[in-house]
Amino acid sequence: MIPVKIRDLVHDFVTRDEEGNLADKKRALDHIELDVEEGQFIAVLGANGSGKSTLAKHINALLLPTKGQVLTCDMDTADDNYLWEIRKSAGMVFQNPDNQIVATVVEEDVAFGPENLGIPTEEIIERVNDSLKAVGMSQYNASSPNHLSGGQKQRVAIAGILAMEPKCILMDEPTAMLDPVGRREVLETVRRLNREKGITVILITHYMEEVIDADRIFVMSEGHVAMQGTPREIFARVDELKELRLEVPQVTELAHELIKRGVPMPASILTPEEFAEEYCKAATGRTRSSAAEENRAETAYNGDTDENCAGEPVLSLQDVRFVYGENTAFETVALESVNLDIFQGEYIGLIGHTGSGKSTLIQLLNGLEKATAGTVRFLGEDIWAEGYNQRQLRSNVGLVFQYPDHQLFEATVIEDVSYGPGNQGLSKEEIRERAEWALTLVGVDKKQWTMSPLELSGGQKRRVAIAGVLAMKPKVLILDEPTAGLDPAGRDEILGEVDRIRRETGMTVVLVSHRMEDVARFADRLVVISDGHILYADTPREVFRHRDELTAVGLEVPQVTQVMQMLNRDGIPCRTDAITIAEALEALQ
Amino acid sequence: MLRDITIGQYYPAKSCIHRLDPRTKIVGTILYIVSLFLFRSFSGFLVVGTAFAGVLILSRVPFRYMLRGLRPILMLLAFTVLCNFFLTSGEVVWQWKFLKITKEGLERGAFMGVRLILLIFGTSLMTYTTTPNQLTDGLERLLSPLKVIHFPAHEMAMMMSIALRFIPILTEEADRIRKAQMARGADMESGGPIKRAKAMIPVFIPLLVSAFRRAFDLAMAMEARCYHGGKGRTKMKPLRYHMADLFGYVYLACYMATIITLRIWLKI
Repeated sequence: MIPVKIRDLVHDFVTRDEEGNLADKKRALDHIELDVEEGQFIAVLGANGSGKSTLAKHINALLLPTKGQVLTCDMDTADDNYLWEIRKSAGMVFQNPDNQIVATVVEEDVAFGPENLGIPTEEIIERVNDSLKAVGMSQYNASSPNHLSGGQKQRVAIAGILAMEPKCILMDEPTAMLDPVGRREVLETVRRLNREKGITVILITHYMEEVIDADRIFVMSEGHVAMQGTPREIFARVDELKELRLEVPQVTELAHELIKRGVPMPASILTPEEFAEEYCKAATGRTRSSAAEENRAETAYNGDTDENCAGEPVLSLQDVRFVYGENTAFETVALESVNLDIFQGEYIGLIGHTGSGKSTLIQLLNGLEKATAGTVRFLGEDIWAEGYNQRQLRSNVGLVFQYPDHQLFEATVIEDVSYGPGNQGLSKEEIRERAEWALTLVGVDKKQWTMSPLELSGGQKRRVAIAGVLAMKPKVLILDEPTAGLDPAGRDEILGEVDRIRRETGMTVVLVSHRMEDVARFADRLVVISDGHILYADTPREVFRHRDELTAVGLEVPQVTQVMQMLNRDGIPCRTDAITIAEALEALQ
Repeated sequence: MLRDITIGQYYPAKSCIHRLDPRTKIVGTILYIVSLFLFRSFSGFLVVGTAFAGVLILSRVPFRYMLRGLRPILMLLAFTVLCNFFLTSGEVVWQWKFLKITKEGLERGAFMGVRLILLIFGTSLMTYTTTPNQLTDGLERLLSPLKVIHFPAHEMAMMMSIALRFIPILTEEADRIRKAQMARGADMESGGPIKRAKAMIPVFIPLLVSAFRRAFDLAMAMEARCYHGGKGRTKMKPLRYHMADLFGYVYLACYMATIITLRIWLKI
């Protein structure tokens, strides 16, 4: 059996006007040829809008070819008689964990597929138990999906597919909405299923770290397969990948840059360990262990000591405690004895995984939530003092939430951005002026100002959402995971824009993220929060020294920092506190 | 937190009433409601009350939970009772200007009040002992004979269970949207009803858009899992009558027989 065989596949998205005439035709897939062998772990990479999800839907017969042929498990998807057999053989896991769980109890959801197939009751029960066991969710069989984490919900979704006994699992960006912990859970689960049960896996993603142990990678761009090969073959082509709005793991890029500068290293390094090994060989002509014995000198970098910010803090939290659902059965402490001062013009990176209390913390800063105990001050004034103007505070401390879809509602982009200033009671001219200023600042093209926000791409929506808050001219800008769900290039663009805005306006920025690499590049200070406590509040350099402590709370230091620390342990004298690729390069030359 | 809100008011306990087939409980509740309207004198309540108390004790649901169920209808209850007090004509026992209370009014008011309370008790007991899922399943099966006249019993049940699944999710989302707009200076707390309704638009539209997107996603996910309507579908937990249900139906039959007999012979 051949799991997937695609020949000359073309797909056009056709929009028709009211009379049924052709209004618009967009080519989503352009002459695709693709073969997958049984038992393989396949990764399909591509930027947003490259056609990778459309491709997955073809394999599952959710879409049918405009031209060409798709064979799933030797069955033609265009043949109606095979429809259910195809969907049973090639199960599909989608991006949003909530939007694919049908039932209110975990085990009943897993049973949904087999029930549709008309499997007898006894066998359904058996299949449900086996599937939940295979994804490690047996103890949650009677739980409500609403009480599970994102990673757990995706594992339930995988179990739901397994219960149909598929030969192949398609995963359409299953980790895009998860935090690092959830992402690891899901990937480990599918890898195990691939290895132990021999199920063919097709993983669609734009996270490169997820695909380093795939058997074969297909890179999609503008509807066609731009590259294919093993991870090593693909990752050696760093510059080409960047042109396709993708990236490679930090260590791969670092190796690539070193090669350019004449260091003899293999072109496709995939992990920090491998990098350390190869660099040792290249630099000393010896293997890691033998080098380590001779040289144990540690050179710490003593350069830039960050000047401490003096003066009055903009925002200040004192002994803050926050309890959800006080005096109910669901009472949970979200924050405990939190002290934090944020100074004018600072760029703060707020790091912590889901449930650590970081979302609560930022909502305390603009008064959306009230601390159970302790005080929150803005420019020295207690924001919960009697008669304090809360709405004024919210325009001074601008908060952009994670999903732009939660705030965009007007018919046009410019009207939507005008909503904030409109609430400030400004004159029409001023509102317009501010909206235009904000949109220009975030780099939204004038042509898009009159479009509906719903027509925009993910990255553009995010810009409009940020502009909607900037238009109120806040003194502090708080961004909650502004890059979630964007492809690597889109992510870099947004982060670059935030940094530019901050330099141009002198605004104080608080960026919430769980990607260490992102915050390391821009933030002056990192605030690491775990389990409701502030663990560290220091420069990225200082924070990343505590690698083991960070790992213990489920966070990872950037790959370059890992590499430098490894090299140093192995006796290569170099600074251990490099936090960006540029710094590491400088140190290794 | 918001995701903990429960729809309905299931009281988890292990009792023979909890274990009864939902169909038995639905049929029982309907018959119980009918029985409440079969008699016109207080003595009837004695039979109903005894029968109900028996089931309540078996169900292990504390009586205070029954009282809690009355809270939302307190206004309606007071209104019904008072209307009967004041608006029934007959022998006047108390009068103040044009307001008068009659002996018949007092009787009628008390009768109506007790009837309403017992009605709520009965339906609450069903929702306390049956999860919303079981109720949906039960309704689907009870209504399935109507498929002959093209009544969409399965579709209706599926719709209900999806709604149950998404109510907490959308509630949480509405809260997040509200906060996102408040962060942009939205004022949802002050002003008259029209201003407040207008202030809801920025919350309502993103929520609606999101609900549509979720509907689209879920439909696609269901199709990918081979959903094609109720035809040929099996169940992981099919409804099966057990011995207890037989007792349940026998109990119901005895109860109805008693009420009807008393109505005919003693004119209660």
